[in-house]
Amino acid sequence: MIGLSRRARDGLTDLWLVGPASLALLVLIFVPVVAVAILSFTDYQFGARTFNFIGLENYKTLLTDPIGRRAITNTLLYVAIVIPFSMIFALLVAIGLHGMASWAAPLSRILRAAYFLPVAATLVAMAIAWQMLLHPSIGLVNTFLNAIGLPGQAWLSDRGLVLYTLAAIGIWQTIGYNMVLFLAGLAAIPGHLYEAAACDGADRQWERFWTVTWPMLGPTTLFVLVVTATNSFRVFETVATLTKGGPAFASDTLVYALYREGFVYFKAGYASAITIVFFVFVLVLTLTQFGLLERRVHYR
Amino acid sequence: MRMKHVVSILALAACTTAQAQAATTIRVHYAIPTIWAETQEILAEEFMAANPDIEVVLDGPAESYADGVQRLLRESVAGNLPDVAYVGLNRWRILEARGLTQPLDPFIDDEDFASMGYTKALRSLGQYNGKQHALGTSASTLVMYVNPDLVQQAGGSMDDFPTTFDGVIELAAKIDALGDNIDGIWVDRHDWRFQSLLGAHGGRPMTADESDITLDSEAGIAAATLYKRFAEEGGMKSYNDNQARQAFPAGTLGIMLESSSLLTRFTEAAGDRFEVTVKSLPLATDDVDSVYFPTGGSAIVMLTDDDEKQAAVWKYMQFVTGPTGAKLVVENTGYAPTNALVLEDEAYLGSFYEQNPNAKTAHAQVAAHAGPWYAYPGAEGVAVTDLIAAALVEVTEGADPEQTMTELAQTLRDRLGMSN
Repeated sequence: MIGLSRRARDGLTDLWLVGPASLALLVLIFVPVVAVAILSFTDYQFGARTFNFIGLENYKTLLTDPIGRRAITNTLLYVAIVIPFSMIFALLVAIGLHGMASWAAPLSRILRAAYFLPVAATLVAMAIAWQMLLHPSIGLVNTFLNAIGLPGQAWLSDRGLVLYTLAAIGIWQTIGYNMVLFLAGLAAIPGHLYEAAACDGADRQWERFWTVTWPMLGPTTLFVLVVTATNSFRVFETVATLTKGGPAFASDTLVYALYREGFVYFKAGYASAITIVFFVFVLVLTLTQFGLLERRVHYR
Repeated sequence: MRMKHVVSILALAACTTAQAQAATTIRVHYAIPTIWAETQEILAEEFMAANPDIEVVLDGPAESYADGVQRLLRESVAGNLPDVAYVGLNRWRILEARGLTQPLDPFIDDEDFASMGYTKALRSLGQYNGKQHALGTSASTLVMYVNPDLVQQAGGSMDDFPTTFDGVIELAAKIDALGDNIDGIWVDRHDWRFQSLLGAHGGRPMTADESDITLDSEAGIAAATLYKRFAEEGGMKSYNDNQARQAFPAGTLGIMLESSSLLTRFTEAAGDRFEVTVKSLPLATDDVDSVYFPTGGSAIVMLTDDDEKQAAVWKYMQFVTGPTGAKLVVENTGYAPTNALVLEDEAYLGSFYEQNPNAKTAHAQVAAHAGPWYAYPGAEGVAVTDLIAAALVEVTEGADPEQTMTELAQTLRDRLGMSN
């Protein structure tokens, strides 16, 4: 130790501090990712003794096979529905509750808890509740629709409808979480900005929102966008518990397909290829969002 | 006094160690604790009581047969496979294909074995390429669950219940007409259910040597046509399995074709609402010998390659598949037995069947027509079952059965690498 300069000792301390976490990251994340990437070029069957390298065959199948392509388009459609709706609704709810906190604080808190409930509840248990509600003949939703003279729908077993039903459940599930994030963002906006805006003549709700609230929420919105996007790309539990990707693959999504191919069909090589495609999707999406939005986000 | 005490403790300790050393321990894997947990405990206890030199250790159960096979594959990669495992009757070949199961033929004396209640039909459940890899431990086939109240309201009769598919569809149509929320009939669009309807027509999904798909045979098209007729005439809705399993006990579904293993669950769920009644599946061919019903349930496989453990495992396998084990399985799970002795000899289950006439109907069907649940060969074997299900969805939504089955068969040949 004595022979080392202060700089070297500092360096060693840094290494000591950052080392264990880096090692864990390397062993638990990077090595498996590399292993999965290698497996994606093989025909490895889960539990098999041997495998062959088959080049890009798995990727070709995923992009040309109708079922593989359906999983990709379904996922993109799901994401395209869930992101905007869950963000817009969450923002509306957050603004409403934030305003309400000043004149009916207890009610605001109760509603906040109610909106957050779907996030805190176990999704599998919630899925069972949804299944009962959406049952075509004995479910509450159809019973209600019939009572007001509308035809009931096969929400989870109509091929044209099932993905939208799952998206609606996805939105329901995401609003609470996004709302909490937006509420935190709203609480952090300094009151004097509104006063300043009022001095400049912007004192109507709409003007206040556009000139102060929305720009100040920029960083929060970016964060919410990234979190919602990655979460909705990962949609799995609702698919697995409510539809198993069916009927006839109508609600198959990337992560469910990954699970199905790997753990039901035991095609580990193909499942690895799906994993890599999924990984690339999320990576590209996240980088684009950061790249495009970072420049326009208003940081204080 | 004190000395004596110490000595006796030492003696006792020595005794237990000696016993522990003598004992062979076998690790048992099973799945679906909701059905099996209690039964497995009882089987293990009874077996150990009869074989004090063998200790049975139950692994924590897997949630489903699918999970169970996954876990066994993981354990085989990690090198800590259990010694013996209960697996789904349609899944043991996944283990066989990877060389994990030990063939049982060296242990079996064919003639003796038949007299012990292992009939040819029952042994076929665990055979592949002339080798015995598994023994059935519990069986179920597709049966008709009927809601007698709805049948009566529709003007039908339980005593004179239709025994042809035409009759069943006609009755289903009448039940369906009872109300907007009442459905006539339902069967899952699923490989096993389809194989059952195919078997009822005397058909098979593949040729005997598994070199070609025969879903586009006359029987295959007839079975697919049944799906179309169920939907168009019998009022079959596009439920998934969970939805149908809620609708039937709720009393809004007249006839449900489902696995006989669900009997207990349906009877309990229906409670006082109506008396769940089981009818056997109609046979749709005059050639009764060609009829087979693919059999669901579980089989037991030997995984250990250690000689001493193999001997212990074989004793255990004989016990659980023998009449004593089969009786325990039937009484505790509601599955049909896979040992003919308990069906032939009333001493075993006579009083049980007297109290459970539904079970008797279901189990008689197993005994008469049990057959293998065909698994398609090769890496795409499981994947194609979902393609079959998807084709059946098309058919129930109006596609032409003949064209759909012809295309399906061709797709399967391509996927499974069968040149044709």
